[in-house]
Amino acid sequence: MRTRVFRLLTVSIVGPLAALTLSSLVIALSTDRFLDVRNLQNLSLQVSIIALIAVGSTLVILTGGIDLSPGSQVAVLTMLLATFVKFQHQPLSVAIPEIVLIGGGLGLVNGILVAYGRIPSFIVTLGTLTAYKGWAFLFNNGSPIFSVSDQLEPIFYGTWLGVPRPLYYVVILYLIAFIFLNYTIPGRAIYSVGGNEVAARLSGINVARARLLAFTLAGCTAGLAGVLMTARLNSGSPNYGAGFELQAIGAAVIGGASLAGGYGNILSTLLGALTIVVVQNGLNLNDVPTSWQQIVLGFIIVFAVGVDSWRLQIGALARRVLPAAVLRWSRAAPVGQAVAPTGRSEREVPEITGPRKEE
Amino acid sequence: MTDATPVWELRNVSKAFPGVQAVAGVSLVFTPGEIHALVGENGSGKSTLVKMLAGVHRPDSGEILFEGQPLLLADPTAARAHGVATIYQEFSLVPTLTVAENVFMGRLPRTATGLVNWRMIRAQAVAVLDRLGIAVDPDAIVRSLSVAEQQLVEIAKAISSESNLLIMDEPTTALALSETRRLHDLIRRLAERGRSILYISHRLNEIVGLAHRVTVIKDGRLVGTRPAAEISLTAIVRMMIGTDVKDHYPKEQHASTEPLLEVRDLRTGSGVNGVSFTVHRGEVLGLGGMIGAGRTEIGRALFGADPATGSMKLAGRPVRFNSPRDAVAAGVALIPENRKSEGLFFNFSGVPNVTVSRLGALLRGPLLSLRREQRLGREQFRELRIDPAAEWKSVRFLSGGNQQKVVIARWLFSRARLLILDEPTQGIDVGAKLEVYRLINTLTARGLGVILISSDYPELLAMSDRVAIVREGRIIDIAQRGRLTEYSLIAAASGTRG
Repeated sequence: MRTRVFRLLTVSIVGPLAALTLSSLVIALSTDRFLDVRNLQNLSLQVSIIALIAVGSTLVILTGGIDLSPGSQVAVLTMLLATFVKFQHQPLSVAIPEIVLIGGGLGLVNGILVAYGRIPSFIVTLGTLTAYKGWAFLFNNGSPIFSVSDQLEPIFYGTWLGVPRPLYYVVILYLIAFIFLNYTIPGRAIYSVGGNEVAARLSGINVARARLLAFTLAGCTAGLAGVLMTARLNSGSPNYGAGFELQAIGAAVIGGASLAGGYGNILSTLLGALTIVVVQNGLNLNDVPTSWQQIVLGFIIVFAVGVDSWRLQIGALARRVLPAAVLRWSRAAPVGQAVAPTGRSEREVPEITGPRKEE
Repeated sequence: MTDATPVWELRNVSKAFPGVQAVAGVSLVFTPGEIHALVGENGSGKSTLVKMLAGVHRPDSGEILFEGQPLLLADPTAARAHGVATIYQEFSLVPTLTVAENVFMGRLPRTATGLVNWRMIRAQAVAVLDRLGIAVDPDAIVRSLSVAEQQLVEIAKAISSESNLLIMDEPTTALALSETRRLHDLIRRLAERGRSILYISHRLNEIVGLAHRVTVIKDGRLVGTRPAAEISLTAIVRMMIGTDVKDHYPKEQHASTEPLLEVRDLRTGSGVNGVSFTVHRGEVLGLGGMIGAGRTEIGRALFGADPATGSMKLAGRPVRFNSPRDAVAAGVALIPENRKSEGLFFNFSGVPNVTVSRLGALLRGPLLSLRREQRLGREQFRELRIDPAAEWKSVRFLSGGNQQKVVIARWLFSRARLLILDEPTQGIDVGAKLEVYRLINTLTARGLGVILISSDYPELLAMSDRVAIVREGRIIDIAQRGRLTEYSLIAAASGTRG
């Protein structure tokens, strides 16, 4: 049992962990402000929203789909939350669950079109990216809604035991997602559909339902992100959330998820999100202009997808460069389904492992 | 016709693939104006032989001679440049383009300004189609044509270019009788104009009336080449079967008289034309027939993978499967022919591949017990003698035999009652085949019914309790074990009898 949990946790975590460590190291060397406590707290706030959305993006990517709409979903949801609270005077205890559910509804629309309409997810969510954004402009004549409620800010800026509250949300959501993906039947179905859709159908799995579920849950995570966004700025705006989808997809991909579906580990997605935010933060601290930051971020994500495609060659390189012990550890294969993408380079390194001993 | 110098000659060519000697020391001669038929059972090496002439495969040893000179055909382009035109079983047409564009694919004539000369393409396409007597609109989009029409376009494409050797691999599979006749007339005319023709078909009775010479190969070896005039159908079939010592099949008989699956008048749009049969508990019902006869389609229809009409009773209760999910829930399983693309999850190790169809058994409360999964998976691996590495290794890296056993283990684990096995031993080595046969015994001993689809006739005859012969989407006969020989099976399935 001990080895099993250990394996689940280490699966595909080595690469993303190395990426995060390396980028942190470079930035820490370039400026001493990086490791400042205030900066680290700031980092945790910055990462929280992207990290929440990235859970949804990972679910969709695991089914072999892609979700481009969460940024626009966030925009609508901040406007809805601001409207509910400021103009309709709903208490937060009602409005927040509503927002999460409505987020789920937005995801459900994507899911229905993809799963039952059999329209490619790229096109469906590219369409809803625009449509949801347009909807956000229908509220308050398209103007942002400021000063929503005094009670909102503590949700984002409050601390508990000296740790910023958003960190707790992130940890809790990732734990739930980890359990969902690794220890439930629908979670397993998501991996199966992404791994081989035909085999999944022939094995009696409800392929459409798995897709629908992934998109719906992605909408719920966009709902959570929308709440945090509204709390962060105490306002709703149709312009919030722009570009979040790329950062969230980037987090999943840097975390090792394959855009072909079936391969990926939710905990590595968190490392991917951290990597993106750390890099942005480091560029900020070194006074790199925003325009250049965007250029860098864009290429990092493209490169991360490339790493997925070049995996076999990288595996061959790793075999030549890394000591066998490291490879063996990093290849610790899954018990459940959270197969390490590094597993795909197994063909490249077969000599150095024998059958594993259990018991 | 026969004494002319050969255009093409294969001299002692061999070709091996991992685990199988596909062609071993075959010599053949192709002379201008001659129609040369090549026959052999499925997997006897015909396609490999063709692909060597077409430049797809290079022989491991031996040589290919063109007009008496040894020649290295590096790739299909080189073969085409030397005049080899090949029509494969699979189409090579672009479905979204017109007939004319497809015919001139890759060599579109240009005008003086370098643009495509559409007028010329159209005129030439009309000429080619007319010459072949093909009534197809040259401007039609290929996708809108029937399969038979597409086959004719494929032929038009192949012979519109200059060629001295025309290879046809099962060209009549999709054709109706009248179209076949027209194609044969065309082939005769092409031969009269001096082309050499290599004609491959399962339909032996076609060959007798068409070919000048017949070559039989078996297990990659040349059995013999005879003038068609001097050889009878019976003799050809005997040459195909050979007199080798039979492989060992560990058949156990567990068939009961209790009906498990009763099928009445099953019909599909995919070519099943009213099929009725019964499978009993513990019985292996073999489906024999040529490729394309409709065996796979019957299997898919039973499994709910293709829409079908007709009635089905499972263990006495009427059932209707609208999707594979319904079938799986009722205990019917299909092990597809293409296990890599349709059976296995490469993103999983062996264990989740086994448990995927009955995850409910792993629940402890609302959550899956991965520990129990691992234990149950390991039990299956031990019982079916699957490579223990499957416990942690992606199934991608298992051998073909182990992969097949993983898929079968899935359905044992999910307690299926009826298993449809489509070509379960294709592409796996002899030892693994034996394991699969033993698994079939294990299944039937537990009272499961098995529908076995196999093109390996000795295997089919040995492992089935009864064999249904399928031809053109119908079951033309169901024979008890032992009442059928390989000879009578091939004769019935290829339509040489009656």
